[in-house]
Amino acid sequence: MEELRPEFDKRGVKVITVSVDLPEVIADRRYLHGLQATMLSDQALVVTDAFGLRNQGVHSAPPSESAKALPVPATLLVDRDGTVLWRDLSENYQRRSDPSVVLAAMEAHFDTLP
Amino acid sequence: MEKMKPGTKIGLLAAAIAALTAWYWVHLTREVALPEDRTLFVIVFLSCVVLGVAAFIKRTSWFGAVPPVFAIAVGLFFPATMMISEQVVARDSAIEVGDTIPRFISVDDSGTEFDSRSLNGHLVLIKFFRAHW
Repeated sequence: MEELRPEFDKRGVKVITVSVDLPEVIADRRYLHGLQATMLSDQALVVTDAFGLRNQGVHSAPPSESAKALPVPATLLVDRDGTVLWRDLSENYQRRSDPSVVLAAMEAHFDTLP
Repeated sequence: MEKMKPGTKIGLLAAAIAALTAWYWVHLTREVALPEDRTLFVIVFLSCVVLGVAAFIKRTSWFGAVPPVFAIAVGLFFPATMMISEQVVARDSAIEVGDTIPRFISVDDSGTEFDSRSLNGHLVLIKFFRAHW
């Protein structure tokens, strides 16, 4: 996702990531996900549940993981008033929103805002 | 030493391809870089299954049966994980287009509290993902 950094900066988009990883794990692996994003640790799934994105399907976490459930992979575009303009839900955990899909969504939804 | 049976050779080839592809898959998963389109992976894994079966048809030695069994197991396992990893959200509660995002307070990777109010007035991209693995 970090390859879209110039596109985020151009539009002044704040990027937030939410996962159940512990803060230190996120910090360790920050280089993979985006150096400039705000990366939240949602161990108790408080944020995930607020958005209704807890996975109700098969939970296949390795036994070493402490999280009791997981969010469904999802990407949201939100306008300045907090309204969701676009939502991409993954039906397969190994899938993540393709950067080109996210860019097209930003062009369609952010660039047409007044 | 006795000459290697044709099936044993095919089995070894199948096992090598299966092992390399599986290693590459795991590597990409760790780097969160698995492509959206996994068709090629599925083709390669299923080819390993076909080669594994072909090895048995061509006959292997007793020990030579190990690599094709490995190739078939690996070749079936990875496509199977794609099939069972479907994600389900409770439809009535999942946030939708047109909804206002809820207020939330969380903590970032440096341990600093994050209040979603700080997003007011900004365009935002929020990305949920399972975990680093």
